[in-house]
Amino acid sequence: MRRLCLALAAFALPPSLPAEDLGAMWGTAAAEAKYYPVVNIPIPTTVPLRPGGLEVLPDGRLAVGTRRGDIYFVTGAFATPPKPEYHLFATGQDEIFSLAWRDGAMISTSFGEVTRISDLDGDGVADRYETLSNNWGYAEGHEFAFASKPDAEGNVWIALGLSGSYESHNLFRGWAVKVTPDGRMIPVCSGLRSPGGVAANAQGAMFVIESQGPWNGCCSLKPLKPGAFLGHPASYNWYPYTADLKAPVKPNSNSRLTVERARVAELVPPAVRFPYIKMGRSISGFRLDTTGGKFGPFSGQFFLGDYTLSIVLRATTEQVNGVWQGACYPFREGLATGLMNVEFSPQGQLVVGGFTTNTQWPVRGTEPFALQRLDWSGLTPFEVKEINIRPDGFLLTFTLPVDPAVAADPANYAVSTYTHIYQGGYGSPEVDQTEPRVLKAVPSADGLSVRLTLAKIELGHIHEFDFAKVRGRDGAPLLHTKAYYTVNEIPPK
Amino acid sequence: MTCPANPADRRPLTRRLFVLVLLGLAVSAPAEVSLPGIAQAKLEPAAKGRLLLEELNCVACHRSTDEAKAASKQAPRLSDVANRVNPGYLAPFIRDPHAVKPGTTMPAPLAGLTAAEQTSAAEEISQFLLSTQPSRFAPEAPDAVAAAQGEKLFQARGCAACHSPRDPQGRETLAATSVPLGALEGKYSFRSLVDFLRQPHISRPSLRMPDLRLPARELECIAHYLLRDTVVPGHLNYTMYRGQVWEGIGHEAVEPERAGLTADFTLANLDRIHHHLAVRFEGWINLPAAGDYTFSLKANGATLTVDGKEVVALAPKDRRGPQAIEGKATLAAGWRKLRLDYYHTGREPSLAFNLTGPGFPRGPIPSTMLSVSDRPIAPFRAPTLDPTLVARGRERFAQLGCARCHDDLGVNSPEATPLAKLTPEQGCLATTPSQGVRFDLSVEQRGWIIAALRAGPATVASPEQTLHAELARLNCLACHERRELGGIPPTRNALFTGTAPALGDQGRLPPPLSDVGAKLTPAALEAALLQGHRQRPYVDAAMPQFGEANVRRLIALFAEVDHLETVKPPTIANLQESRNAGYEMVGAKGFSCIACHDFNGQKSAGAGALDLVNLTQRLQKNWFHLYMRSPQRFHPGIIMPNYWPGGQSLRPDVLGGDTDQQIEALWRYLETGKQAKNPAGLSRQSKELRVTDVAEIARGRSSIGYRGLAVGYPGRISLAFDTEEMALRQLWKGEFANVDLGSFQPRALDTMASLPAGVPFHRLKSLEDNWPAKGKTTFGFPQNLGYQFRGYDLDAARRPTFHYEYGEVKVDDRFEDMVDAAGAAFFRRTLRLTAPAGTTPFTFRVAAGTKVSATGPQAYAADKLRVRLIASPAAILREGELLIPLTLPAGTTTLTLDYQW
Repeated sequence: MRRLCLALAAFALPPSLPAEDLGAMWGTAAAEAKYYPVVNIPIPTTVPLRPGGLEVLPDGRLAVGTRRGDIYFVTGAFATPPKPEYHLFATGQDEIFSLAWRDGAMISTSFGEVTRISDLDGDGVADRYETLSNNWGYAEGHEFAFASKPDAEGNVWIALGLSGSYESHNLFRGWAVKVTPDGRMIPVCSGLRSPGGVAANAQGAMFVIESQGPWNGCCSLKPLKPGAFLGHPASYNWYPYTADLKAPVKPNSNSRLTVERARVAELVPPAVRFPYIKMGRSISGFRLDTTGGKFGPFSGQFFLGDYTLSIVLRATTEQVNGVWQGACYPFREGLATGLMNVEFSPQGQLVVGGFTTNTQWPVRGTEPFALQRLDWSGLTPFEVKEINIRPDGFLLTFTLPVDPAVAADPANYAVSTYTHIYQGGYGSPEVDQTEPRVLKAVPSADGLSVRLTLAKIELGHIHEFDFAKVRGRDGAPLLHTKAYYTVNEIPPK
Repeated sequence: MTCPANPADRRPLTRRLFVLVLLGLAVSAPAEVSLPGIAQAKLEPAAKGRLLLEELNCVACHRSTDEAKAASKQAPRLSDVANRVNPGYLAPFIRDPHAVKPGTTMPAPLAGLTAAEQTSAAEEISQFLLSTQPSRFAPEAPDAVAAAQGEKLFQARGCAACHSPRDPQGRETLAATSVPLGALEGKYSFRSLVDFLRQPHISRPSLRMPDLRLPARELECIAHYLLRDTVVPGHLNYTMYRGQVWEGIGHEAVEPERAGLTADFTLANLDRIHHHLAVRFEGWINLPAAGDYTFSLKANGATLTVDGKEVVALAPKDRRGPQAIEGKATLAAGWRKLRLDYYHTGREPSLAFNLTGPGFPRGPIPSTMLSVSDRPIAPFRAPTLDPTLVARGRERFAQLGCARCHDDLGVNSPEATPLAKLTPEQGCLATTPSQGVRFDLSVEQRGWIIAALRAGPATVASPEQTLHAELARLNCLACHERRELGGIPPTRNALFTGTAPALGDQGRLPPPLSDVGAKLTPAALEAALLQGHRQRPYVDAAMPQFGEANVRRLIALFAEVDHLETVKPPTIANLQESRNAGYEMVGAKGFSCIACHDFNGQKSAGAGALDLVNLTQRLQKNWFHLYMRSPQRFHPGIIMPNYWPGGQSLRPDVLGGDTDQQIEALWRYLETGKQAKNPAGLSRQSKELRVTDVAEIARGRSSIGYRGLAVGYPGRISLAFDTEEMALRQLWKGEFANVDLGSFQPRALDTMASLPAGVPFHRLKSLEDNWPAKGKTTFGFPQNLGYQFRGYDLDAARRPTFHYEYGEVKVDDRFEDMVDAAGAAFFRRTLRLTAPAGTTPFTFRVAAGTKVSATGPQAYAADKLRVRLIASPAAILREGELLIPLTLPAGTTTLTLDYQW
């Protein structure tokens, strides 16, 4: 009887609800599972593990830094099925969102400092907690700190969120700094708002992920070019505290990034913008796929976790006229909790971890905390592998050959463009929409790429591609039909 | 709120002069009637014209229907104008309203007269108006400190949504799209403006200027801000400051408290003199003769500048009594600028200030030699009334038709042509008006009115058109968005602020009015519109009250106009089961609504979004069902996630995963209102960290700061150490701490001994020197004093030894839990200081408190705490501090101390 009531109720809502529900999932989870099944790494009830930072130790164990300030070493996390055993290595720190193993010690970045944690007596438990630097201000809520893995010189790059994520009341809030192996702190870039993770791309350029908010129309991947101003002017206070940097002119609000780039020499635009909701709401930790193909066809690309939507995204970057830009692509949805960080295992699995919270942001995933893995099943999904810009259009690369007849018809590609208002108000609607015509589509002989020629490329715009009509050789559609390329520069002809 | 160190000095004289010029020589300037709500409305020209006819009260002269009369804006009441408005304001304003207040809806009544006649007529009418009541009007000196607060309130409370914000020079930055104010310092006195803001309906019964229902203190601050250019004669300006005044005026821990005028350089004329207070006196002295002058001061701390040059300076000290000090200056005769900063830091306020000079025997400076300006300031004089002018003014008032609008003075004016018989494009609407009054209408505005007159009164507006017109009339869209009509313009968006930044725009912008008639119950609309009820305490803007006559009809209009598709609520088989499911979903183990929303008056742990408990009384159930299915549909950009994306529940385990049943269950649970059972997870659970046979450490946010580190020792005693200042801050006994996600809270608070913030070592310049501690804006502290925290090592029992640097001195700082002969636990602290040869001596602050004293050989007490020096150089005491001067040889020096409490 009850079942009947429910069935009736299901018809009660008229079908006129907006078709594109902004909060909707992509709806691809079932199809994704064939290629990238989600594997849960169980956490015993005795272990208070809210994962913040992830690292893989030289001996192949997984290291997890937690919100509670503990570091666990986990054996068996990468086995199939996982047989994890949790060993408590270090305790008593502030919230840990970043971990890196370097020269026999754990570099742990918590909100207040970078700490080098080591086990001198070899009993498996840390006994030295050496502060490398705590020389940034930390006195208000939301003043998070996220760090990179060490770069080639051994520096960790740290992104320092604004005070309360809106203003900069304390030293270097809203800056990216780097801390050298001998504990010197060097301010690198201003202009951050509420950054998440920091990681380097395949060329070694360091990037930070930024959240939507004032001066940020949506989440974005920002290049940490030394001396750059990255968009949010609240952090100008601290230029006098740097050795050699001078405050740029202030950007105007209610403008566009391209307009302000012409005024503010130091303003470096985000390399990849992630249209809000469609491509994440609070993107957090991200890592470069260096598995050399063990994780499938996306080697050399970024994989990014999203906190609110519990999804994983992909992104690619390229440098045009000396400026970084690139594209983002849907990858996997339906993870169990709010993702804080991701890390590749030596076996080529993508480990994801995170938590939900009673105290801050809502999350789609329902587990209070979780550690999960995305394993590649060995089957290659039919996906847009990468989009690259060309002087008059784009080069699309696919993971599997396309149907040449379908791919050669320009009518089978829909491209729309838009940008955001660059403003001090919160976020931005998508504005200045255009729909450039696709003039020509030329598939390569092997069917793995298609060269698109557009009537116009819009400078400063996100180019949203709809590939719903593209087919593989077997007639199947793409696993994900959308991709988003941010055009900061157009290559010369 | 930060205020400039010297608020009195911030306004340039140029603007004041400009205002005087404006008042004195009313120059006719082209302008247009500024009604931004109508100008920006998306309405047909005729509809805009109808609104203009009503807002300009055209039917007062040109008789029309009773409905038109009722809808029209009444002119300001003039029966108490003599008390409300500066007498000097009236004549220039009557002569040319648009020159004095560009954009005003008041027409120029004298347009038909010659220039000379205009001047005399304006004066006569002014005399008549002033004669209607004895005037108590008197301008007052503004309080610059309150004005600085008022400036923030003017923006935050939403005044600046309709009126233009002003730049630091006082210029209106958005004048073109604002309701004009003009220069108010020539119009109102502080008292009359506060009275007006408190009860705007008394003088402006149509309440286009609504009642913001602000607390009296906020209204006063706003009045001080709007009148901050008022100039009245006086001897000296003063500004009073509170806080750590020994740091000097301008320091972040010193806040201005109030400002005003005083007669001379004594404290006797200033009431409410408290401990830890500073006073800045500013003014000009008129010296009768040139020569050498000696300024003698006796105070705890003071700085005197003459013409900007420092003549006497005595740095304030918190640890010293008043001192006598003198300074000399050779000065020319005439007006010299004096600024005296007095710091009251000792026990009793004490200030003596004497001057000796040519022909001036030593003595205090009399008020007669002092003025707030080096130029004469004319005192305000009440007007003298000339009965002849008054009588003529009364006649003019009747004859010119003033009494048709201002109909509260018992004067009658002859009627003009009825509205229906008017010829559009003539009279007031002629391109160059030849007769009657002159409205400064733009070409566009004239066009709207002509369109309205041509369309005639017969046009019946749809409910939707009526609603839109009413929203335009009251300028509701200046604060509220309504989908098809727009909303807050980008130029004003950033003016809206809130106290819950985590909520994004929802935390600062007044709620949108899109679909509001399909969203709120009539009772909730009435509560907001007529009782001023607010659901969002975190939005700074006030909800103004426009009065029943203006807004009562909106309740029905919203309901009539706004419609959304209807959701048929599911049938509930078992009400209790449904409520239980709702309870579960609201709680921490369900969707955790309480992560963001307050509930039944209890704060959410996070964002502080609006309280859920009265939701079912405020909202229509149909809207709730639609909203829950897609919050983004109603609030694009809202941070609230969708828990039923694509209609699929994220909780398939509750009520069979049925979306409708789940949403209905939330409603049914919330329907129980204040009786609702508190959802799980609403109050934080205890997260005790217990100490067993090894020490435990917790780091992060606590009552000692954000970089605190707590250690619980196996001997059941604990301490908290600030790794930012390397300072021992708290010692307690018994249970260790509750630890939660980067924060800790000591458990045994009743056993706690506390030490103040501040670094351990310092090179004091003298024993009067204050001990340094971090302030809110001493950025880079204590690294700027050579400190660097370097972490800690753990021993076998996991007890830490802290490492830090004080310049070239390396410090290992270790605490051990020990037990004395009587079985009481105490801490033994061992400090190993490794220094190179030639290290400059410095001082170690062992303890500090309200009362610090010696209790025996090498034994001291600081409040609850007892300190024994086991191996240490001798200590010295000064007020509130136990200090050990250290002269370190090269190599390592070890100090041992015991702390017991």
